[in-house]
Amino acid sequence: MDFGGKLITSTLRSLARFARGFLTYMRLNTKTMVGSVAFFSLIALAALEPSINYILLSGHSPTEMGLFERTLLPSFEHPLGTDATGRDLLSLVLAGLRFSMIIAVISGSVATLVAVSVAFLAGYKGGIYDHILRSVTDTILVIPIYPIAAIAAAYVRRIDLFTMSMFLAVLTWPWAARTIRAQILTLKEMVYVDLAKISGLSDYGIMFREILPNLLPFIVVGFGNALMGSLFIETGLRLIGLGPTEIMTLGMLVNLLINWGFLSLGRYSPIVVTTFLLVLIFVSVNLLNIGLDEVFNPRLKKVTGL
Amino acid sequence: MRPLVLYVTKRVIAYVLTIFLASTVCFFLFRLIPGNPIGAYISMLMAQQSYLPGAEEARKVILEYKRVFGLDGDLFTQYVNFLKEIILNQNLGPSFINFPKPAQVLIAQYLPWTIGLLGFSAVIAWVLGNILGALVGWKKDSNWGKPIFYLALGLSQIPFYFVAIVLILVFGYMLAVLPTRGAYAPWLVPDLSFEFITSLMLYALLPSLSFVLTSVAGWIISMRSMIITILGEDYLLFAEAKGLKRSRIFMRYALRNALLPQATGFAMSLGFIFSGSFVIENMFSYPGIGYLFGVAIGQLDYNTVQGILLISIFAVTTANLLMDLLYPLIDPRIRYQR
Repeated sequence: MDFGGKLITSTLRSLARFARGFLTYMRLNTKTMVGSVAFFSLIALAALEPSINYILLSGHSPTEMGLFERTLLPSFEHPLGTDATGRDLLSLVLAGLRFSMIIAVISGSVATLVAVSVAFLAGYKGGIYDHILRSVTDTILVIPIYPIAAIAAAYVRRIDLFTMSMFLAVLTWPWAARTIRAQILTLKEMVYVDLAKISGLSDYGIMFREILPNLLPFIVVGFGNALMGSLFIETGLRLIGLGPTEIMTLGMLVNLLINWGFLSLGRYSPIVVTTFLLVLIFVSVNLLNIGLDEVFNPRLKKVTGL
Repeated sequence: MRPLVLYVTKRVIAYVLTIFLASTVCFFLFRLIPGNPIGAYISMLMAQQSYLPGAEEARKVILEYKRVFGLDGDLFTQYVNFLKEIILNQNLGPSFINFPKPAQVLIAQYLPWTIGLLGFSAVIAWVLGNILGALVGWKKDSNWGKPIFYLALGLSQIPFYFVAIVLILVFGYMLAVLPTRGAYAPWLVPDLSFEFITSLMLYALLPSLSFVLTSVAGWIISMRSMIITILGEDYLLFAEAKGLKRSRIFMRYALRNALLPQATGFAMSLGFIFSGSFVIENMFSYPGIGYLFGVAIGQLDYNTVQGILLISIFAVTTANLLMDLLYPLIDPRIRYQR
C-alpha cells in the first residue's frame, strides 16, 4: 500500500478508536454526556432549520418581509410574535442559529486543522519552527484582536459565510496551537515513542500512528476552544452592530431587536430566547471540554476537585 | 556580563521589538482596508458648509489635507513619517473626527472614563476574586464553599456581554431602576457635587457589574485551584507542626505563594480589558476609548484608531515587562538567568 493510503486507513482507524472511546467516556462522565447531547441537539436544530422553516412559513424565506401581520404579540401561531416588517421572529431566530453555528463550526474546524499542523511542526520538529510559533502567538496575544476584528468588520460589508469563517479562524488558531503543542511535547517523551523510533518507524509514522491517536481528545478540546473563540468574537461584534448585514446571526438579531425598541416595548421574549440559545452553545461546548479534560487529564481532576 | 544585566537587557530588547512589530502590523492592517478617508472627510465638510469648489481648488484642498493628515506619498513614506512623528514629537497626527485636535489629545479626553470604569472594575474583581477563591480553596469541603464555586464555574463559562444583556434587561427595563446609557445624567454638569458623584456611580453600576461578575468568577476558579495545589505542600505541614495558628498559615504561607501567579495573570488580562471595554462601552454608550474607537472606525479616522491601538499594545506589553522584572523581587525562588 502506498503512503497516502496508509495514512488514510490509520487516520480512519484512530478516528474509529476515538469514536468508540468517546462513546464510552460519554457514559462515564455526566458532563461530557450532557454537553455533547446539548451540542448535537443544537447542531441538529441548525441543520434542520430549512425544513422547519419550510413547514412553518409554507415555503417562504424567513427574511421575507410582509408575510404576516406586523408587530404581532406572541401567540400560538407566532410563539415569539412578529417584527415591524411582518416576519415571524421564531423563524428568524432559527435561521440565526443556523448562521451562527455554520460560522462557528467552519472556523473552528479550519482553526483546529491549522493548529494541529503547526503544533506538530513546532512541537515535534522543534527548533526554528518552535521559535516561529512562539513569536507569532506572542505577537497575536499583544495585538488587541477584538478591535482588529472590528476594523475589518466595519469595512468588509459584503462578505460570504465562508470568508467570514476563514477570517475568524485566522484570529483563533494560535490559542488552539499552543495547547496542542504542549500536549505533543509531553507525548513525544513517552516510552512507546522511543520504542517506535528504535524499531525504525519514520517521523510521519510516529506522528500519525503513535502520537495522533493519543492526541485526539485534546484536538477535540482545541476544536471546542477555537469554536467558542470564533463565536465569542463574532457575537461580540454583532452585538454592537458591526459586520455584514446580510448574514443575520444570533448576535446580530439581539442587536436588531434592541434597536427596534423591543426592550422599551417590553417584548422581552425574543431577546431572552436568542440570548439563551447563544449561552447554551457556550455552556454545552464548555461542559464537553471540561468533561474530556477530566477524563484524559486526571491530574486536573484532583485540582478542580469536581 | 552579569546575569541580571543580561536578563534585563534581553527582556527590554524583546519588549521594544514586540511593540514595534505589533504597531507595524496595526499600521499596515488598517491601511489595507479599502476606503477613502480624505474624500469622505471633504464631502462631509462640503455638506456642512454647502460650498462647492472648482476642480483645481478641490485638488489643492485634497493635497493639503493629505499632507496634514500624514497621508501623502506611498505607504512606506507614510510609515516612516508616522514613526518619525511618534518618536520625535510624541504626536499621532490630527484626528479626523475632531479636527484639528491631535489624536492624542482626543484620546486623553476619553481615557479617564475607561480607566475609571474598567480599570477600577478590574482591580475590584481581582481583589474580590482572589479573596473568595482563596477562602473557597482553603475550606474546600465547607457548606458555603461549594455553591460559590459552582456559581463561579457557571458564570466563568459565559461571555461577559451576555451578562450585560441580562443586566440591561432586568435592571434597566423589567425593574427599570438603573440607567443603561451614558456616564452620568445628561442634565448634570460635571463637578464635585454630591448629586453628580451619585449619578456617576449609578450610571457606572451596570457596565461595571457586567465586567466584574464574569471576571470575579474567573479569578475565584484560578485562585481556588492554586490554593488546593499548595495545600499538599510539605511546608504547610511543617508550619502546622510548628504550632502556628491556622489564620497565620493561611495568610503567610498559602496566600502569599498563590498570589504570585495571580499577579502575572492580572498583567496578562489587561489586553482583555481593552477588548472588553470596546464591547461594553458601545453597549452602554459609555464615553471611554472603546466608544471613541467605535466612532473613529466609522469615520475612517486613521490617526485616532492607530493611537488607541498603540496605547493598548503599549499598556499590555509594559505591564508584562514590569511583571517579569519585578517577579524575582517578590518571589525569591526565581533568579535572573540567561
